Formats: sequence, structure tokens, C-alpha cells
Amino acid sequence: NTTVICGIKAELANPTVEAPGKGYIVPNVDLPPLCSSRFRPGPPGEQAQAASQFIADVIESSEVIQAEDLCIERGKLCWVLYCDLMCLDYDGNVLDACVIALLAALKNTQLPEVTVNTETCTPVVNLEKRHGLNIHKHPVGASFCVFDDSILLVDPTAEEESLLTSQLTVVTDEAARLCAVHKPGGTSLSGEKLQECISRATVRQKEIQKLIDKVIHSVKTSQ
Amino acid sequence: MTSLISDEQILLFSGSMMEVCGSSKVTLREFGCEQSLLSRPDGSASFIQGETSVLAAAYGPAEVKVSKEIYDRATLEVLIQPKVGLPSVRERSREQYVRETCEASLLLSLHPRSSLTLILQVLHDDGSLLSCFLNAACMALMDAGLPMSCLFCGVTCAIDTDGQIITDPTAAQEKESRALMTFAIDSKERRVMMSSTKGSFSVPELQQCIAVSQKASEKIFQFYRDSVRRRYSKNL
Amino acid sequence: MPVDTKRVRGPEVSQSPSLFLCKPAKTLPPDGLRADGRQRDQVDVRPVFVRCGLVSQAKGSAYIEAGNTKLICCVYGPRETERKDETDMKCGRLTTDMRFTPFSCQERGSWIQGSHDKDLSLMLHESLQPALCLHKYPHAGIEMYDLVLSCSIRQDGTSYVVDPSYMEENSHSLVDSENQGGLTVAYLPSLNQISGLQSDGDMTEDTLTAGVRTCIEGCFKIYPVIQHALARAVRRAAPPPSES
Repeated sequence: NTTVICGIKAELANPTVEAPGKGYIVPNVDLPPLCSSRFRPGPPGEQAQAASQFIADVIESSEVIQAEDLCIERGKLCWVLYCDLMCLDYDGNVLDACVIALLAALKNTQLPEVTVNTETCTPVVNLEKRHGLNIHKHPVGASFCVFDDSILLVDPTAEEESLLTSQLTVVTDEAARLCAVHKPGGTSLSGEKLQECISRATVRQKEIQKLIDKVIHSVKTSQ
Repeated sequence: MTSLISDEQILLFSGSMMEVCGSSKVTLREFGCEQSLLSRPDGSASFIQGETSVLAAAYGPAEVKVSKEIYDRATLEVLIQPKVGLPSVRERSREQYVRETCEASLLLSLHPRSSLTLILQVLHDDGSLLSCFLNAACMALMDAGLPMSCLFCGVTCAIDTDGQIITDPTAAQEKESRALMTFAIDSKERRVMMSSTKGSFSVPELQQCIAVSQKASEKIFQFYRDSVRRRYSKNL
Repeated sequence: MPVDTKRVRGPEVSQSPSLFLCKPAKTLPPDGLRADGRQRDQVDVRPVFVRCGLVSQAKGSAYIEAGNTKLICCVYGPRETERKDETDMKCGRLTTDMRFTPFSCQERGSWIQGSHDKDLSLMLHESLQPALCLHKYPHAGIEMYDLVLSCSIRQDGTSYVVDPSYMEENSHSLVDSENQGGLTVAYLPSLNQISGLQSDGDMTEDTLTAGVRTCIEGCFKIYPVIQHALARAVRRAAPPPSES
């Protein structure tokens, strides 16, 4: 039942001096009080912040989009992609849902063409010419619940999450390379179990990528 | 800035219960530890890995806020203070890693409705910071005398562009690496308690890194044992 | 501006690309049809889509879509009050919280609740309060006297638009007449009572009363849709025995 919505807003900014050829990707995850009674109003809690950091790490590790692609003019102008993820229904395994929502939203993003006016040094935006983002990789996460290193559960619900002894998220891309093996503590896990999780994650990546492609295709044809 | 850091380190190295472990096959940088160096907390430790150094303080079991009370176990809070500025999302994510690792090893159900607080202060970051946090945390919890089911240690591995695995990398090595992984290994069965990774890597590379970390953990646990033994032999 | 340390931070300044459009955006035609083909000066609300019970974790939830405006609402509770004042113990308390997602408006909003969000939260609270039987707390269920419906108009000189779209809400015609403003009415249909009213801008008394009447008429247009959605949700939650 978990529902996550991802909105991407693109804005223009100056690149940093350290990385003049790079744009910014700013992912933030919000777990508002709307999605579950466990969250209270106010600034994001530890879980939301850790999720934001996790998503940021996944973007960086998987190179889903390269920050260089967001550069419009070196040292002067670049895109900032604000990827805002909001959970609408928290029924466990929010990390997987976030990664999938993010990937689908990125695939659906259309940026307008921007040129820099050489005389006034101001950007000119042409809304009629739009192009999609260059998606290099398709990272997909698979989360597992572990109960005392004996029982493995795939895609845990909120109830299962509250009972588990440890949780593991494996993110893989289409080339079966691992982008993240995220296990924030909990009881220890043997090598065999870990291997089992990884092989399941690769299978899941293929399924999800197919699903996203299908959805994007249907969106395109309906437009 | 450098002079200030070296001052701090001289202070730490001059402590009475310093140990230094040399590096051999699985190369770890020199590490050192001092326990009970702060007087106010219930337990404290500093942990140094090469130039990276972290100060940890543990408080508890103490009274807990009503909103955070858990009826069947103690509430553990981990706070990470960066060297400069306010803690950001990155610190919060590391807090989660450290907290959940500590929660798994501590016997929290022995102190229901109470609070444990662990504060980690970065003194200097020269790579492998998360593993240093874990090691400092474990030493501080030991020093506080909190009941634990097992000990844990943190090991960071970096895979460089040639595919070589570097254990306990420096900040410069981290920057050049293709992938970076930190594991927490438990002392009972040498299994992976926590895993945090950055960059992309293949499955065999992951398995190799885990194996290397497990080997490295032997050394760290031996160091734990030596340093605690020396400390208590002196006190008696 | 204070630094938000609890979120991933981007660059300090960034500007929306809409500021640098090479062609100015189309302005609203002052008369005739509205941009989406609806009639001016008539109670012509957008068709709404309503579904109840979408969020599994909530006690009650609803999703509504009118044009491109999409909104989700969840009800949680009852839970223990934090302030244990004697006055509070006699009846339940309603708290409302309304926020925009950062990507919901033309300009990217901040995650931090703005004053607009807070105003709307308060308005919502005041409009809903009269319909809830809070004095029956702590008994089971949330009993309500009636449904609460709401409708807005935007007065633009002598003409008005009902259920304005974002563009209509934020456009100002160049004609500098005295009747310029917006009006929102919350209404209890079977009791025929108004529970909330908010107006801004500058309007004469006659225009205001006429506006209120128009809003009520708009509410009645939405009434059957809401009733239908509620009935559907109840039927799904507890199917009638005859079907089994």
C-alpha cells in the first residue's frame, strides 16, 4: 500500500567554483504526518533525513544522471534538479518506493532549452523546445527484512518492519552492479543470506525497469 | 588550522593509557584509544585511526522523556557533532547507522523505560570516519559498563581505480576511490552487522571486501582486548 | 534565512526558468470564455473526482481532483493529548495541518510551511469545527452534524469566475474597478449554514452577498459527487449482506 510521489522542479543557478562543469541534484524525502500516525508535524525526523541521504547516495553512486549533463554553460549556468519525494501512505519499505518514484520521475522530466544571451549574460528559456534527461543507469532497490538471521522477507510492510531485527536494502542497476548495500545496523547477517538477497535484488531490478518503461511508454502515447 | 589539530593530538597521545598497533598484512593505519578521559559522562573514549580522531561520550541509563519512552527497553540516542558547523543530513544518516548497530549489540531490554545517550565529536576527519565512529562508540559503551551481547568494530574499505582494496583509507584515498564501503563486524561470529556503501561495484568485489574486513576486525578486537586489559591491570 | 540543516541542501540561490522566458506568457482574455472553456458569470464548477479511503494507514482519507488541482487529506486519531489541561478533557480537539508540496506551484516552494499554508490550515480548522460533534468525545467514531462543502469565486469588476484556476486566481485585470477580490465559503448543506467565510480584496456589500449566494450554489453542485464517493467507500468497507 506504500505510496510515494516524486516531483522534480528544475531551476537555474550558478555552479560552484570547485565544480564549474556540474549541476546540482537535490533530493529530499519527506515523511509527513499525513502518511502515517507514527510521524508528527514539524521538521523531518531522523528517518526522513536518513532516507534523504540514502537517496542522495544512490544518485551519486549509480550515476543515474551525471551532474555534468546539467551544465548549461561551464562556470556560469547550470540546472538544479530539486527532487522532492513525499510519502502519501506509509506501509513499510519506503526506500524502495522512493528509488522507483525518483527513477520514473527523472525519466519523465523534460527540460526546456536554455541559451545564454552573450550580450546581457542572462539566460533565455525556450519552453517549446524540450528534451528529456539522459538517464545513464536504472538503479532499483530491493529491501529485505531479517528475523534473527533465519527468516528473510522481501518488501516488508509497516507491521513487519516494526517487528524485524534488521533490515537490508540492496540497490542494483541493469548491469547487475551494486550501487548500495544499505544495512543500518541490526542483527548480523551471514554471507549466504547476503548473496541470496543480492540475487533477488537483480531479478527485481529487471522487473521494475520493465514496469517503468511500460509506464513511461503509455504516458508518452497518451500525450 | 593544522596547528590546532596537532595540539589536540599531542594531548591525546600523552594520555596514560595509549596503545599503538602497528600495521601488517591487512594494512590498517596506526590506531590508538584512550578510555575514561572525560570526568562527567558515565563512559568515554577517544579513538584515533591515523589522523582521523573521534571523541565519544556515553550517558546512561538515565531518566527518559515521556515522548521517547519505550516500555520494554531503553531508548538509545546517538548525536554526532561535526568538527565545524551544525550537524546536517549526512550526520543524521551516520547517527542512524551507529545507533542501530549499538542497539543490536546492547542488551537494551535490561533497562526498560530509561535513556542512553551517546555523543560522538569529530576531532579530525582524515578518511574512514564512520568506522572510527563505530570503534569509538564501542569503546565508550564498554567504558560506561553497559551490558552488551557482543562487541562490534567498524572497518572501511575503498576500491581504487585499479580494483585494489585499501583498508582504512585516508581522505585522499577515499576521494580517488571508485567505491567505498564501511562494515560493522560483530565479535561473536565475525558477521556483518551494518553495511554502508558508496559508488558502484560488483558482487565478487563486495564479497572480497567483506572477507578483508573480517580479517581486519580480528586485529581491532585484539586491540580492544589489549587496551582494556592494560587499563585494568594499571588500575588494580 | 536560517539554514535548514535537516534536509539535503542545494545551491544558495536558484531561479525558476519561467523568469527568463523568451516569450511572455499569455494573459487572460478579459471577457468571453475562460481558458478552460468554462463560462464566466455562471456557477460553472470544474468536474471533480473524489475517492475515499485511499491511505491504508489513516483512519479516514480522501483524494480530490478538480482540474489540475490535486489534494489528499488524511484523518488520524483520536490520540492522547499532549497538553493535559482540565478544559481540554471535556471534549475532543481538532487539529488541522495543510501544506503545499514543493513542486505543487509554479515557483518551487520551500518544505517549510509558509504563511499561506498556515492561513489555509486555520481556515480549514474553523470551517470544520462547527460540523464535528467534538463534545461527544471520548466516545467512538467521529460524528458530524453535516458535510462541509466549499466553493470559491473570484470577483473581477462586474463579472466573476466560479472555482477559479491557478491562473485566474493570480491574474489581475488591468481595469481598475472597485470590485476586485476573492471569496471562499464553507457551507453545511442540509443545515443551510455557513461555517467558514474568507474574503480578500475590495468588494461592495451587494457584490459580497451575491457572491456568497453564488458560492452556495456552487457547493450544491459538488454535493452529489461527495455523497456518491462517501456511499461508495462505505459500501466497499462493509458490503451489503444481500450481495453475498
